[in-house]
Amino acid sequence: MRRMHRVLWWYGWSVLVVLFTFFPVYLMVKISLSSPTEVLTPHPFLGLPAMTGEHWRTLLTSGTLWPPLGKSFAVACWTMLGAVGLATPAAYVLARLPPTWKYGLLLGLFASRMVPEVGIALPIAVRFLSWGLVDTQVGLVLAHLIKVLPLVTWVLVGTFETIPVEVEEAAQVDGCHRLAVLTRVVFPLAAPGVAVAALFAWLESWNEFTYALYLSLTENTLPLQTYYYVTRGNWFDAATYATLLTVPVMIVTASLQRYLKAGYLTGAVQG
Amino acid sequence: MPRLLQRYTLHGLMLLPLCVYLVVFTGLPLLSCVVVSFTDAASHAFPSWNNYLALVSLGQFSPALRNTLWLTSVGVSLEILCGLGVALILQHVVWGRAVVRTIILTPLGVPTIVAGVMFTYLFGSTGYINAFLQRLGVIDIPLDWLGGDWHSLGVLLGAELWKVTPMVTLIMLAGLESIPASALEAAAVDGASGWRRFWYITLPLLRPSLTMAVVLRAIDAFRIFELPLLLTGKSLPVLGTLAYSEYYEYDNPFTSAAAASLLLGMIALCLGGYLLVMARRQEGLS
Repeated sequence: MRRMHRVLWWYGWSVLVVLFTFFPVYLMVKISLSSPTEVLTPHPFLGLPAMTGEHWRTLLTSGTLWPPLGKSFAVACWTMLGAVGLATPAAYVLARLPPTWKYGLLLGLFASRMVPEVGIALPIAVRFLSWGLVDTQVGLVLAHLIKVLPLVTWVLVGTFETIPVEVEEAAQVDGCHRLAVLTRVVFPLAAPGVAVAALFAWLESWNEFTYALYLSLTENTLPLQTYYYVTRGNWFDAATYATLLTVPVMIVTASLQRYLKAGYLTGAVQG
Repeated sequence: MPRLLQRYTLHGLMLLPLCVYLVVFTGLPLLSCVVVSFTDAASHAFPSWNNYLALVSLGQFSPALRNTLWLTSVGVSLEILCGLGVALILQHVVWGRAVVRTIILTPLGVPTIVAGVMFTYLFGSTGYINAFLQRLGVIDIPLDWLGGDWHSLGVLLGAELWKVTPMVTLIMLAGLESIPASALEAAAVDGASGWRRFWYITLPLLRPSLTMAVVLRAIDAFRIFELPLLLTGKSLPVLGTLAYSEYYEYDNPFTSAAAASLLLGMIALCLGGYLLVMARRQEGLS
């Protein structure tokens, strides 16, 4: 009987937590599918009585969607490529350094993720204005790399640490050149980890808000476009944009769930 | 010797681009932010405290500082409590754990800005919470949740909690998994109740994870930006949004840099304190 009570206690709480977590997401998707008469009343309705694709149709046909979507997508892809290109070789070296050096440098990387973004974004924005990089994709990619590189390096060092040095030595004994050991043995072995890190990089850039806010005057990214509709008080456009922004993130996060280790996320989530 | 040199040349070349990038795009901007914050706006004299004096004299400053400190202290305590609670729930839920885990971790996959949008639907003046309370008869006229008083702090806290608890949960889960089952079993055999086992075994063994979570969350909480910007805007400033509006709306990079440097100082203090405590603890052990 006591056992029964205990089981009920834990399941009761889990249901509550699940509801608390799920409800806001449901509400957002529901609003993106509801007609205004149902939501903008003193007694808004919670269910899904009459779904309408009206807001999604306006979203797709209005012409305000494609430029921000394209910019966000392109910037995320370039950031991903840049981050992997810069971080992979460095992470390999870091993983093979003597422990004191390694932890010192990793601590530095970690600290660079802890810095307030409004502090970095300000001088960057001022400088990019004079370099003509504001409102360009290049400028935003450069800014996103600031945020993404430490995370990607962090994840990749963990990956390279799992590859034993003996594998490299064996390849060298077999007559492999040092560079060839890397390109033919080590990097292929690390490919799954690199793929995970690349996806994290893509997501971080896709979600990024603060640098984009400082570095965009007229050409919005998708998060900025969402923010714009919220400040205009347009519930339905905000809901469709926010849902659209979330879908890829949710898909990727869900598929990466087993890689979501506490260490990877340090500083990846913030208010 | 040439071989050795060759070896380190290759390693150096591989490490160099990352280091250069971090110096040019993180180190130098930070330095310039701090330098600008100590440069007088009119005469460009350095060092000068004028920007900080100007910052402190802003009407928005003391609420911003108070809100930031309040959100950090209360917010982080609540996040740790909830994160630990949810981790314990996940540990005890056997049937359907994978599903529960996936749903509970969804906020990790929701961009912060979107979390803000969701909470405007709940707490906007025509939002669902007001409608619900009106239907229950608790209130007659809709409450202005996001107007800037303690209500808004509560909403902000709720949104932050919703978004961030899963990360704390992950840290706690990792910590809980590292506790040897044999210790808990031994205590159970000796007749310790579930509560006492938690208090005397689980919690002390969880201390490293708890410390890590507190520090990580505190650092992030100081930097809170997107949620207040979107949910409450000017009516509830924090240091981050103050720094933004000083630059973007009033075109004053000097006070903005001062606010950002203040934030940086608080974070550095927090991180430095943690490292100091860790170093001292390690000395005590050896």
